[in-house]
Amino acid sequence: MKKYILCLTIFSVLVANDIDFNAGLTANYGDSYDFYSYSENRLDLNFFYNDLQGWIQYEYSNPPDVGFPINDIRKFRIEYTLDDFTIKFGDIYEFWGRGLVLNQFDDQITNYDNGTRGLFIGYSNGPLSSSHLNGNSNVWLFGSDLRKPYYNNSHNMSGNQIQYEWKSLSLGLTQIQSNEVHQKLFGDDAYVNHKMKGIYGSWLATNIDLFIEYVDKVSTEKTDFFQEIAHDSLKKGHGIYGNLNFYLGSWGLSTEYKRYAFDKSHTDFTADDYGNRIELQMMPTLGKEQNSTLLGRVSHNYNFNDERGVQLELNGSLFNRFTVSAQYSHLSRNNNWKSLSQFDWVEQPLESFLPSSNPSALPYWENYEEISGFILSDNLYFKLGHGSNQEVFKTMRYFDGTQISTIFTESWVKDTTDLYGYIFIDSTMTIDTSFSDPFEVVAKMWQVAKSFTIPMELNYTFDNGYNLGVGFQYQERTKKDISKGNAIDYSNPDSSWILINPENSDSSFETHDTKFSLNGDKVNTQYNRMIYVTLSKAPRWSFTITQDWANAFDGPTTVDPYYNPLEALIFGDLKYFTGGRNKVDPPDFIQKKWVSAELAYNLTSSQRISIMYGSIQGGLFCSNGVCRLIAPFNDGIKFSYSAIF
Amino acid sequence: MRKYLFTLLFLSKSVMFATDSGLGSKIPDIKLKLLDGSKVSIHELVEDGPLMIDFWATWCKPCKKVMKYLDQYHQDYADQGFKVLMINQDTPRSLSKVKSYIRSQNHQFFVGLDPNQKIAQKLNGMVMPTLILIDKGGEIKWRHQGFIPGEEIEIEKQIKLILESQASES
Repeated sequence: MKKYILCLTIFSVLVANDIDFNAGLTANYGDSYDFYSYSENRLDLNFFYNDLQGWIQYEYSNPPDVGFPINDIRKFRIEYTLDDFTIKFGDIYEFWGRGLVLNQFDDQITNYDNGTRGLFIGYSNGPLSSSHLNGNSNVWLFGSDLRKPYYNNSHNMSGNQIQYEWKSLSLGLTQIQSNEVHQKLFGDDAYVNHKMKGIYGSWLATNIDLFIEYVDKVSTEKTDFFQEIAHDSLKKGHGIYGNLNFYLGSWGLSTEYKRYAFDKSHTDFTADDYGNRIELQMMPTLGKEQNSTLLGRVSHNYNFNDERGVQLELNGSLFNRFTVSAQYSHLSRNNNWKSLSQFDWVEQPLESFLPSSNPSALPYWENYEEISGFILSDNLYFKLGHGSNQEVFKTMRYFDGTQISTIFTESWVKDTTDLYGYIFIDSTMTIDTSFSDPFEVVAKMWQVAKSFTIPMELNYTFDNGYNLGVGFQYQERTKKDISKGNAIDYSNPDSSWILINPENSDSSFETHDTKFSLNGDKVNTQYNRMIYVTLSKAPRWSFTITQDWANAFDGPTTVDPYYNPLEALIFGDLKYFTGGRNKVDPPDFIQKKWVSAELAYNLTSSQRISIMYGSIQGGLFCSNGVCRLIAPFNDGIKFSYSAIF
Repeated sequence: MRKYLFTLLFLSKSVMFATDSGLGSKIPDIKLKLLDGSKVSIHELVEDGPLMIDFWATWCKPCKKVMKYLDQYHQDYADQGFKVLMINQDTPRSLSKVKSYIRSQNHQFFVGLDPNQKIAQKLNGMVMPTLILIDKGGEIKWRHQGFIPGEEIEIEKQIKLILESQASES
């Protein structure tokens, strides 16, 4: 039925004279030797008729790169504007404040779609605007499969927003309530009601601007679904975000602060931790949005439930030619944590409003500096950056305190018994229990990763329209478990930490155990390098060869079992072409390298095709604060076509 | 096999269909908020002359390269009513740095905000950069996706064409 509606809509749009329209087409196809194949096609059609606007997105994907196969209308929306009122029906994406209450988007790369299918009514008249949103949101999240989502959280939600603007000031109030059916890792679904109330305000001046937003959230759970009893109180939380910017000439300083406290934990949150922040809330992360592949792979996995932090970024211009940027951020959980035993953790609230540097609060530091600009009569573009970060991923034990040992003293007493003239000599044992003086116990173990990355790029444009670009990225990375203290284990029967030297509590140790390895051998530092060379001719085509290289892996070593002619060509392996090489038993020098070549061609100014052949290393990819582990693509071909018209 | 046939059919149809058939259609009167807090509609911006719309983000490398040229054209052809509107798609993750970046570059063009891609979706500007050239009457005259260094020559050529056409009509 939906297909007939789509065909009818397309036909009507094309034949009607007074309907304006635009459309976008994307087709992506990929196939690799290890069954990473996809075929996805999407058509976006917008049409405009007087005060009426419509949008339909049709998708035929079997299977898509990420997500579920579909051959249907994926999204649609009808909008009608009458004077000061706007009514929308269909798939709605709204953004209030800075997203602490509501920030909706459809990100196809991370497969994150938190839009609402329902009704929107908006009113805007001069300084006053308000809106109401009501509908259902179905948000899919990834489990262990890197391409097919597993967890589904559905929200039946309604929300209201009102905003008033007066000169350079604006003030907004927001409210959302949602009934969520939350899919858990273990057990039945949970039925949770979320209530949020928010307030935000901004002030814009010539050289300063300020934005502040606060949200308060309460969730309750319907534990007995059939009996309709009152909900149990589940969790309460709040979020604060502030942004103060200063401008002077061609320089700007951006300062940000966040504190998101919707839940608390010394570990990561799982699907079984529910009742906290919901998927409709997508707030600022306070991390640098990176556009370098290697920096993207060491992105921090932001915690919207329990994280606070600060970020500073300076942007400016040197000699009116070069762009300079420097950024620093420091984040941590809202509490320090102490492990009283191996499984019993207690939080210790931070004393100030700033993030903690204590490893038990899982701190994260990041800084990035970059200079870029045009030189040589604007023919040469250059970019040189430096990024470094440090992150504590997890704490396995973290105790620092005093302990008292129980001391048992045995003594034997000689005893003589006279029984009917017989003398018996005996002895009895007595045990005295005493306690030692208090002594310091330190039992700490945490996992930390550090990296520094240098991305650079050169691009020279020749007068005949040709352009040559070279990019190089270098990264050094360590990831290790650090253990330190004078105790390494906990005795549950004795309810005490076990000293490594029970006779001497001053005996301490510190070990560093790297997490990187290669073929079973431990490797202290992972070196990553990526080089790419692009030749292009405006306005028609560009050709890029990319090589990615790593010396060690976090986890099992990935073995490349297939050898292709592109790799042989790049590494000058003549044996491959003369038949002297066993193609399914590649030599060592080809391992741990990913080579790809891509040709992009502009058919017209609004139509573009690209073909890629080779291998792409998988890894972490983050967008909009959502991170996704991308599966490796080995020895395959990708084809894509996009057009707007 | 069926999916490959469908893909082939889909592509061949689209290539035939996509011969710039949407050119000449009128752009909708979308309202947007500018970086300085003021509000403007696209139809207001085309009252005096042609408008070039470009979608960009602070983390988009080719976007930054083309911005340099677009700002130059915005200033060079301002006396003929030509304007450039850069619609920013930074999310809350990097929204706070947009104004700082624009001021550091001393760009003079208009910068609009579209943090959850509502406008980009309506104008099919999801790929960055996407350029849309609109004449004084609000009709779309040229579209372009992506940026290869050297394409600024073609961009300026299209601007000159539309300005010449405007001059000859008046």
